[in-house]
Amino acid sequence: MTELVETRDRARGERSAPGWLVVLGQELRDLWLGGRGLVLSFAFSLLVGIIAYLVATNTDLNFLEQRESTSLTLQVAVAIGGMLTLLVAADAVSGERERGTLETLLLTPVSRRELATGKLLASLSLWFAAFIITVPYVWFLGNGVGIVDEALVAGLAVGTLVAVFLASLGLLVSCFAGSNRVSLSLSLFVLLALVAPTQLPAGAQQAWAGDLLLRVNPLTAGERYVSKIVVSGHDWSEDLSWLLSPVIGAVVFALAAILVGGRYIRLRGGVSG
Amino acid sequence: MTTAIEAHGVAKSYGSLVAVENLTFTVEPGEVLGVLGPNGAGKTTAIRVLTTILSPTHGSFSVAGIPHTRPAAIRRAVGVLPESAGYPERQTGEEYLRFHARLFGHSRPSARSVARTLLEDVGLAERATSLIASYSRGMRQRLGIARALVNDPRVVFLDEPTLGLDPAGQRQILGNVRGIASERGAAVLLCSHLLAEVEENCSRVLILNRGHVAAAGTVAEIVRQAAAPRTARLQVAAEHMEHAVAVLTGASGVDDVHRPDGRAGWLKVVFSRAEEGDGQLNLAVRVLLDAGVELRAFELEGARLSDAFLAMTEAD
Repeated sequence: MTELVETRDRARGERSAPGWLVVLGQELRDLWLGGRGLVLSFAFSLLVGIIAYLVATNTDLNFLEQRESTSLTLQVAVAIGGMLTLLVAADAVSGERERGTLETLLLTPVSRRELATGKLLASLSLWFAAFIITVPYVWFLGNGVGIVDEALVAGLAVGTLVAVFLASLGLLVSCFAGSNRVSLSLSLFVLLALVAPTQLPAGAQQAWAGDLLLRVNPLTAGERYVSKIVVSGHDWSEDLSWLLSPVIGAVVFALAAILVGGRYIRLRGGVSG
Repeated sequence: MTTAIEAHGVAKSYGSLVAVENLTFTVEPGEVLGVLGPNGAGKTTAIRVLTTILSPTHGSFSVAGIPHTRPAAIRRAVGVLPESAGYPERQTGEEYLRFHARLFGHSRPSARSVARTLLEDVGLAERATSLIASYSRGMRQRLGIARALVNDPRVVFLDEPTLGLDPAGQRQILGNVRGIASERGAAVLLCSHLLAEVEENCSRVLILNRGHVAAAGTVAEIVRQAAAPRTARLQVAAEHMEHAVAVLTGASGVDDVHRPDGRAGWLKVVFSRAEEGDGQLNLAVRVLLDAGVELRAFELEGARLSDAFLAMTEAD
């Protein structure tokens, strides 16, 4: 039947879109027109605004160097923006399962990998919105020391890698989780575990074990890279080793979410009826 | 013409728990097959296997001539209304159908046109731009049926489509079901708890019990297969009671005649199982009328699908 539909549409010069693109479009509409994306973005803008205000005030009092305040704001944006993508992705499959809308999606000829791809890409839109919200704050804080361009490029690159990593992680958890509550709780727990190394004392962070911990963790490694460029003024190519785990984390987890997680987008076994 | 559904020994187990076993049946295009069974009989699992949501543990099947080894191709050819399907509350009915039409390969303009046509077909055109959150249960079920038709399917699976609907809503949905078979020529597999609904709308019936096929055939065949009692109650004028008993006792195909307690003027007639229930009642009525007995009322028992269903599902 679909072949017939496609043949008829082609004859009219109309083209059908690939399944992942149709899923992406619908997910974006649900996220942004449904209001959830706007609410999360508004909360994000409030938080970044408060942080920017506090660091700017501290800069005036000379407690924070201007480069540090820019870096701190950017790092907060990357972490919180990544968290938003994680939360949305963690709801993507388990939420559909709980709302009873997953079965009708599985009954379409769109492959489960395409479903995973569309949902993953839609959740990343929150990071890009968060980044756009962050731009004026970074411009305001970094303008005086001429690091706006470098900070924005580094923030966009690292933030995108971290967001892909976290969204893929959330989607994977959502595919396997028995309930939406479990999916969201587990995803938040993992995020807290990833943030935890930043709370280690400076001495512990500089020891080889602490350094390794920071390097293998895509979140902390990415933030350290941003700090090297924005605070230390390094060239983008000087500290590429810090980008290794964000790149590997993003690629490996995205592939896992689409290839492995996609296979587990299914109804839980039931024998009712 | 290709058989719409052909299942051979289909089974689905979860570990040691057998949900469906040795499911064998066929459905022809344009036919409405009713699938009956008590809770836990395996109806929903059977539908999920046949629509490729679950893979079978054993056996093979084809839908619209497509073997079960090509699940994506089967999904292109079927439409499904799952039991208790959820709906995105913040989408309008038209957006929902457009989205699903596009998932089945329609272009944007084509999806819009299909959505509008189907909304009209199921009587939701006026509410096309309302949020699904504002739809009643009956409207949601009709929207679900419309969604099941976005790909112009050759086989339609409907799992409890009238569950929780009032009589008017049930009638509307059943009208849609009949239309799918008669106007579109699609085969319909209708799962239901409502025996009268199946009896009135299905050309054939499959009764599932504990994952097995307990009976299959037309309603008349199933009633005949069932070990349901075949008796009739006849009301005759009080002065003709003795004469009626004597006439019926000697009639062919009648095993027993007695007066049930507490029902004055009534006779209970037990027919021989070797013959048709309806024909036996006709014969008994004719014998009485020929003998000049004044007959005031009669009713046949044990000849309805509900009797057969209970006999088959309670016996196990």
